[in-house]
Amino acid sequence: MKEDIKIKICGLKRDEDIELVNKYHPDYVGFVFAESKRKISFEDAKKFKDDLDEDILAVGVFIDHHIEDIFYLIENDIVDIVQLHGDEDEEFVDKLKEFNNNVKIIKAIKMKNKDESNEEDIKKWENSNVDYILLDNGKGSGEAFDWKTIGNIKKPFFLAGGIGSENIKKAVKFKPFAVDLSSRAEENGFKSSKKIAKIMKKLNEVNNVGKLNQTNNGRYGIYGGQYIPETLMNELLNLEEQYNFYKNDSEFKKELQFLLDKYAGRPSLLYFAENMTKDLGGAKIYLKREDLNHTGSHKINNVLGQILLAKKMGKSRIIAETGAGQHGVATATAAALLNMECEIFMGEEDIKRQTLNVYRMELLGAKVNIVCSGTRTLKDAVNETMREWSKRVNDTHYVLGSVMGPHPFPMIVRDFQSIISEEIKEQLFEIEDKLPSVVIACVGGGSNSIGSFYNFISDEKVRLVGCEAGGMGVDSKYHAASITKGKVGIFHGMKSYFCQGDYGQIAPVYSISAGLDYPGVGPEHAYLNDIKRAEYVPITDEEAVKAFEYLARKEGIICAIESAHAIAQSIKIAKKMKKDDIIVVCLSGRGDKDVESIKNYKIAKNGEI
Amino acid sequence: MSKITEAFKDEKVFISFLTGGDPSKEKTVEYIISMEDAGADIIEIGIPFSDPIAEGPVIQNANIRALSNNINTDDIFDIVEDLRKESNIPLVFLTYINPVFFYGYEKFFRRCYDVGVNGIIIPDLPYEEKDEISENAKNYNVDIISLIAPTSKDRIRMIAKDATGFIYLVSSMGVTGVRNEIKTDLNEIIYEIKSVTNVPIAVGFGINTPEQSKKIAKIADGVIVGSAVVKIIEEHGVDSKQHIQEYVAEMKNATRI
Repeated sequence: MKEDIKIKICGLKRDEDIELVNKYHPDYVGFVFAESKRKISFEDAKKFKDDLDEDILAVGVFIDHHIEDIFYLIENDIVDIVQLHGDEDEEFVDKLKEFNNNVKIIKAIKMKNKDESNEEDIKKWENSNVDYILLDNGKGSGEAFDWKTIGNIKKPFFLAGGIGSENIKKAVKFKPFAVDLSSRAEENGFKSSKKIAKIMKKLNEVNNVGKLNQTNNGRYGIYGGQYIPETLMNELLNLEEQYNFYKNDSEFKKELQFLLDKYAGRPSLLYFAENMTKDLGGAKIYLKREDLNHTGSHKINNVLGQILLAKKMGKSRIIAETGAGQHGVATATAAALLNMECEIFMGEEDIKRQTLNVYRMELLGAKVNIVCSGTRTLKDAVNETMREWSKRVNDTHYVLGSVMGPHPFPMIVRDFQSIISEEIKEQLFEIEDKLPSVVIACVGGGSNSIGSFYNFISDEKVRLVGCEAGGMGVDSKYHAASITKGKVGIFHGMKSYFCQGDYGQIAPVYSISAGLDYPGVGPEHAYLNDIKRAEYVPITDEEAVKAFEYLARKEGIICAIESAHAIAQSIKIAKKMKKDDIIVVCLSGRGDKDVESIKNYKIAKNGEI
Repeated sequence: MSKITEAFKDEKVFISFLTGGDPSKEKTVEYIISMEDAGADIIEIGIPFSDPIAEGPVIQNANIRALSNNINTDDIFDIVEDLRKESNIPLVFLTYINPVFFYGYEKFFRRCYDVGVNGIIIPDLPYEEKDEISENAKNYNVDIISLIAPTSKDRIRMIAKDATGFIYLVSSMGVTGVRNEIKTDLNEIIYEIKSVTNVPIAVGFGINTPEQSKKIAKIADGVIVGSAVVKIIEEHGVDSKQHIQEYVAEMKNATRI
């Protein structure tokens, strides 16, 4: 397990400061006994320590103090850890250890600027009895030193000097054991609640992302994994390695951001659906307008990332499955832009439902292969694309369209889609200065939903609701609600929930929406469901069609029938919520593609539109 | 030595595949016996699965035929039970992980032991995920047959070291099905496998002519044929016995030259 990055807030000098840290709970606090504007007396320190929560450790900061003073503070339990900033030598450290071997010692090293080497100093203390090293500019100026000069340090180290909420995410990239904050957690010379709150929030995000990213062979609890033929294993391992490299590569990130901003049209709007809100008379409803992206859905976020990655990996050919055609169109689009050969696999049933998208893909230069095996829908398109990939991996990348399949796909697609919740969070903070009460998104494989949920997972007060395809009702045979009605199984490379029949045969599924017509769900959703962090509810065809019409009439937005499942859920719950509650619905795609089939649905149902 | 490995003791081995319950339970038993009579040394029985992602169209269709006959996992155990009244030939199941998972690992492998199944091939269970079944398979004496592919490269030794029964060397990229030509340099892979294990190596995927059978038998310990047999069943249905017998005899003889 990767350890969380710890945080130390240094230079507490008032009773209020203790109240603050007891509220925000950093791992360590620092009492400064050295000459400085933050210096406190032993008496103050004793009082502070008495008031400090027991599980926050107190660090005493010293510059060339008499060792007896330090003994006194240790003996009286005023400091738990000793931080040495002066010219103390190894003998001094050994004496402290002799006095009390349980006391941890931090030795601060003044990092010199670029031209000089810190190597000697660091090496000396790496090989000493101190427990941690602390890297600082040594000037106490609140300025950061050039972190790039940090090499490979063998002891766990604290990173100090000039760290605040603006640069904490950058700081943790240098893999410190802990970050040490002081001046940038202050306002007018005193520790600021607002600033500390912001810093703690950012650090929690980093630590939580770290935890979720932490996958043992891509596991989310018991789910995920790599259940895939041996022929593809090396390619998957290669993909994971390359992805882990490029996701941190500044050039790659720059190129991808450019494509997202200048080509796909990000950030997408967060639109206040005022008419809907007024009509329903409850919570405020915001729509995350992924339908306004180039190609008309959230699929482009993942596709641009994966195809750019494939290009960097030296691939020249792209293959992909598609259900409704949204992922196929997005893939064909990005392949055209980035000059890659492209083949799309689509079930015969879906081709019938989405003829226009087939022509779109062909127009974009892709070859569309009709899949006639099995149920001739999305599941079979995935089968066929996997088979094709196992025939030709050297020059070919499989752009999986959802957070499903074998590791690393659920992780890669999730990461590329998480921009949705990143933007929602920022945009909503800007408008409302708070978090949403609920985030709602539709779930087929689960890519727009995980994208909408991801950055809220650690904000436990935010309810996350995924809407599965309830088809003609989950008690009929005609639905695709794999979490509501499915069982745990292993298919398409992952352990997750699947709609399956007796003896583990994958069941034919049904939904009015080709994009939700899949018998499984991404492994991270299965996990979020089990730990009860997200709820999953079925929405029937009927409810989705009503919501589709409602949104068109109320807001003048024709959304994808997939997204209408999420709208339907918002209609159900908004009324029961308070006026200062906020619902964010991910409008994953636009509905032009569905207009005809909805028309047919209405005719079949009522004999008229 | 396991019953499967023992089959490789004296001569080059011919391994023949068919999908259980295609065209019927009774016919599967009959065809297996006729294959044994014709010289097959090991039989692979496919447990039908709705979405066999490592199979080409021929075996996919056999899966669909069996499933539309309502053949299930228990039927396949019945087939083995019936077969065991007449034959002692080493048997290997070929299926996908979900039907085994659904059945329950412990129950599945206990049934294997009870009816006399000696090994299992699961194409979507690579080395990294083997722990799903390894304990149960071991407890009930079922060899997990490992697959090595042309793309395995640096994984070859790791997989080979852990192999039991025999090693299924996948001759070509892609899915199962008849091929005119095997292009992979098998010699090199076989050499590498042999440097770490004595577990015998059988080559499959695409093999269908006696010439190919002969060629493979020269470099490997065994030859696996699947789609070509299933194709005969597809064509002749309940009247396949003689065709299968002739074909298997010809293929087995080719390994002897």
